[in-house]
Amino acid sequence: MAPSSSSGLTFKLHPLVMLNISDHFTRVKTQLNPPPSSCAAGNGHSSGDAMIVQNPRVYGCVIGAQSGRTIEIFNSFELIFDPLTDTLDRTFLEKKQELYRKVFPNFYILGWYSTGSDADESDMHIHKALMDINESPIYVLLNPAINHAQKDLPVTIYESEFHVIDGIPQPIFVHTSYTIETVEAERISVDHVAHLKPSDGGSAATQLAAHLTGIHSAIKMLSSRIRVLYQYLLAMHKGDIPFENSLLRQVSSLLRSLPAAQSEKFHDDFLMEYNDKLLMSYLAMLTNCASNMNEMVDKFNTAYEKTSRRGGRTAFM
Amino acid sequence: MEGASTIARKTWELENNILTVDPPDSASDSIFHYDDAAQAKVQQEKPWASDPNYFKRVQISALALLKMVVHARSGGTIEIMGLMQGKTDGDTIIVMDAFALPVEGTETRVNAQADAYEYMVDYSQTNKLAGRLENVVGWYHSHPGYGCWLSGIDVSTQMLNQQYQEPFLAVVIDPTRTVSAGKVEIGAFRTYPEGHKISDDHVSEYQTIPLNKIEDFGVHCKQYYSLDITYFKSSLDSHLLDLLWNKYWVNTLSSSPLLGNGDYVAGQISDLAEKLEQAESQLAHSRYGGVPASSHRKKEDEPPLAKITRDSAKITVEQVHGLMSQVIKDILFNSARQSNKSSSDPSDPEPMITS
Repeated sequence: MAPSSSSGLTFKLHPLVMLNISDHFTRVKTQLNPPPSSCAAGNGHSSGDAMIVQNPRVYGCVIGAQSGRTIEIFNSFELIFDPLTDTLDRTFLEKKQELYRKVFPNFYILGWYSTGSDADESDMHIHKALMDINESPIYVLLNPAINHAQKDLPVTIYESEFHVIDGIPQPIFVHTSYTIETVEAERISVDHVAHLKPSDGGSAATQLAAHLTGIHSAIKMLSSRIRVLYQYLLAMHKGDIPFENSLLRQVSSLLRSLPAAQSEKFHDDFLMEYNDKLLMSYLAMLTNCASNMNEMVDKFNTAYEKTSRRGGRTAFM
Repeated sequence: MEGASTIARKTWELENNILTVDPPDSASDSIFHYDDAAQAKVQQEKPWASDPNYFKRVQISALALLKMVVHARSGGTIEIMGLMQGKTDGDTIIVMDAFALPVEGTETRVNAQADAYEYMVDYSQTNKLAGRLENVVGWYHSHPGYGCWLSGIDVSTQMLNQQYQEPFLAVVIDPTRTVSAGKVEIGAFRTYPEGHKISDDHVSEYQTIPLNKIEDFGVHCKQYYSLDITYFKSSLDSHLLDLLWNKYWVNTLSSSPLLGNGDYVAGQISDLAEKLEQAESQLAHSRYGGVPASSHRKKEDEPPLAKITRDSAKITVEQVHGLMSQVIKDILFNSARQSNKSSSDPSDPEPMITS
């Protein structure tokens, strides 16, 4: 249903947004389907008391910042859907927006999100309603169905574009591509929760193991990607797959960009940093030795005191 | 390839006593369910009033952790604060979500929370309408660069909270150390009521405290205890996070922990130098005062020099880890060898774009 967008905007999505939406969905779902131990009644977005509501639709707003042609989606919050008028509750939205504005003054509303498997016609209704806040809102759709065969993130971002259908210009949803953007702190916490690493210090060995394991998995991914490229090129070479020049051009530019950094300056800086770190470990080692020596001297003195009241031993030659 | 790595990871997890909860499925998402009646009942009973050590554990949701860490880091070197929402479950406090407060700098102001009350009430009300039913169950703030512990002002704030807003939890996050060490620095605390004496065999984990804060730490460290923190996530969360890894590995490889934290490391080293000087003058004194001074030391107290050694080891280990990443990246991407197997530009967006 959705052709690709041609607006030329780049979208960057933060993992926080995805976790937000997923949390919202899980909450509503568990509230509607209370676990068998409790008998609380849920609050309802959709009808159905006794039947298990599989995938309730939740709605919310995404906020972020736009600089030039890059739109970065940082955060999101929930909204109330009014099933009577089929729109989102406006006063509520404004109230929440105010609250979020106090804490994040740089972010403004970029669009809205919902869960489901595909964009609906009714979604366009909501989309249009948001157009007075943001002239070109985006629609983030998360597919909550857990499908283990899936390799891609079940998140799609839609933009609205005016296409002429039946002689009337109408807005329809078009796919856009996006990249995942992150800051260092976010990456560490996502890593932490995803792999449930030990949070306490552990021994130096565990820390080392954790650190290296992370890098190892990343390199493994890299290697598997490269392998795919390699197989592809091999097949193309043999003639199994028709030539595709644009891809070949991309691969060749990839290869030509190696080695990544080879200037004199980089080399100097790199070695300087290397030496700094080695110097630090040397100093730490010296401190360690000094401390051990100090302890040894203390113990020696305690053991061989001549004037101790507790009857020290004489140092025998 | 996949099998070997899972085996390796399982062995490692076993060796480190990591309790892997069964991968969350829809049934275990029940932790997300908020039972109004049960919570109200617990509020009436107040089992924590009789036992100051009642709450022992904290469970933090993935979302709450992410929000808190990102908020803390966004503050840079300024302390930020916020509130956490959740519920209690026996002796565990469960934190489901967190939100930021538009207030800065809690270290010098005792009533920072009073300013934020209006915001908090507004936010809680709107949240209840939107389907988040939990109550405020604690507060968090950040100590950028100087560790996870409660300062004097924090202790008094928390004691007040524990009098009037039970159950309440205090969480401290250090975003600078998180980035520098590559793992999340977080601590959860509850204070003891006035006059309660902490049992002497209570061992708390050692952490480096900069010299200018060490007095504040020492005076109050007996007035609170820390709780164990575990994390949980929903089935959808884990699914998303697994898939996210397919795009995320690029960030892991391209992250440079050494570059972002230069200031902090320099600060650490200078702090270490000051501590060394202090230790040196202490030792010089005791040399003239005679050796018996050392025999009065309690068994648990480490000589200051040993502490310094530990600190320096910690700093160095972090730096060496960062160096390792750098060297690995250099080998991978900078040495154009004959068999050009490793040939992918780290910043190339090609594998990440979905279309």
